[in-house]
Amino acid sequence: MTATVHIPLTVESFGDSAVMVSVTDDDQRVRRSAIVDLRERLLARRPHGVCDVVAGLESLLIEFDPITTSAIHIEYVVHLLAEMPPAGAVPENAARRHFDIPVVFDDETGPDLAEVADELGIGVPELVERICASRFTISLLAAAMAPMMDGLDVPRAVRRRREPRTNVPQGSIMIAGENAIIQPFPGPTGWRVIGRTPHTIVDIARESPVSFAPGDTVTFTSVSAADARRIDGEFLVAANG
Amino acid sequence: MSTTIHVTSAGWMTTFQDLGRRDAERLGVPTGGAADQHSAAVANILVGNGYGDTLIESIGGELALVPEGNILVAVTGAPVDVTVNGARVEPWSPVVVPRSQELRIRETGGGMRTYLAINGHVHSERFLGSTAPDPRMGFTQKIGVGESLFVDTSFAGFKRDYFDQPLFRLPSPTLDFPANSWTIDIVEGRALEQIPSMRELLSESTYVVTDRSNHVGLRLDGPVAHPESDDEIVSHGVPIGALEVPHADELIVLGRYRTLTAGYPIVGFATRASLALLGQAGPGRHLRFRWVDHEAAVRKETQRRLSLDGLRFAVREAFDALGFSQP
Repeated sequence: MTATVHIPLTVESFGDSAVMVSVTDDDQRVRRSAIVDLRERLLARRPHGVCDVVAGLESLLIEFDPITTSAIHIEYVVHLLAEMPPAGAVPENAARRHFDIPVVFDDETGPDLAEVADELGIGVPELVERICASRFTISLLAAAMAPMMDGLDVPRAVRRRREPRTNVPQGSIMIAGENAIIQPFPGPTGWRVIGRTPHTIVDIARESPVSFAPGDTVTFTSVSAADARRIDGEFLVAANG
Repeated sequence: MSTTIHVTSAGWMTTFQDLGRRDAERLGVPTGGAADQHSAAVANILVGNGYGDTLIESIGGELALVPEGNILVAVTGAPVDVTVNGARVEPWSPVVVPRSQELRIRETGGGMRTYLAINGHVHSERFLGSTAPDPRMGFTQKIGVGESLFVDTSFAGFKRDYFDQPLFRLPSPTLDFPANSWTIDIVEGRALEQIPSMRELLSESTYVVTDRSNHVGLRLDGPVAHPESDDEIVSHGVPIGALEVPHADELIVLGRYRTLTAGYPIVGFATRASLALLGQAGPGRHLRFRWVDHEAAVRKETQRRLSLDGLRFAVREAFDALGFSQP
């Protein structure tokens, strides 16, 4: 990341004790990398009164204690931090891993498969083909350490469900927009459920509950239900160790 | 000094609890913690503990405990009847439970969650630094009948000739539970620009908490309007108390276990000072919303926090006078 580029940020009030920071740039990559950079800067210095920082794909929610600071002060600090030269020792491209994840794509594991294909004006086999041809990058860990990925290569952005599903099984592969995510534990989602992996994605009994990190890459490979049964919940590890 | 406390009744659901985890959201683990943070903090203050120390949360039914040694406790949250060895004692006040006597807490309706703090350090497992459950990740923290709690406490008991209980009159900032609808203060959200009619709908309608509600959010039945355009919203962080309009005809108020991926239009935010009451709202509860400005929201939160500080000082003075030590 170069320090000299001035990236315009907008900071808006988000309730009485949070602000939302977004980057106003036409290039999605600039928006996303600027947010990662700003989050690092905030966490490294942790301004007084900041309780927690929640990164979205292109935005940063900064939660603060409204008694010790205020939205105006946080906005000021965010602009100052954004203008500062980089701290230096930001681990960039540390050790990128690749995960090739087996997925069963059928009506039972992917109840939204047919509807999404229909919406995109393609057949189910083509949709599965395009998902498996997509090379995803993990952008962040979402709910319950779920890997949130970009890189879904389909004709246009996939919409969310009209009404969220309340209980989607663990291992479900879900898509929305140009993103994919894997459900680590059974739970609700508003995303479209298109398949399921037999691997265990998150195991809180392990010292490191997940084997992946933001920046790692992922591809999906279609497997049969019989192949999936043989994997039987085995903990997911990287293809390139 | 360590004391064992036997659980003789656990109600519908009893867990270890605290004010939640910090800095876990970047790992995708929600902050979690007591849905009614106010009552949880007050319970801890009343027994001389730190605001965020581990305590017990109970939902529905009857919780009963018998300690092997003398303990000092406080019960807050939903309306309850509390007895020690059959004799009525006050909630929202420090209470002595002598060894081998039963503490019984029975919810009388109106709220959802009861908090029980015990003077000292309550032993419990931690996940990412907190004892708050995260059931979605298999960290349930459930406490069942027949189990025991372990507490390190320096409380030595209290005995007078005529009273078993010391007489406290402390300025406890209790929660009010109106019999009819509860009023929740809200500030504006940005989606009001796309759905201007939500401003009036929210201020003039009554919303009902449905049984589809859970720790992620309250799901309310009531009138909503949808934005004209149906643009994809990129997933972003959302504060606790955000009022979202999903594609369906319902209103969602996000709770402490909300997730990043909830990318629906946000029409408002419950104020920090009104989150405690929201954390007590169960299925069937009628809610009304009242628009307030930021200054009013922060002023109420400031008053609430001052009341906690005031209570902390009063407890310290009372405990010093009685010779109770604080952990």
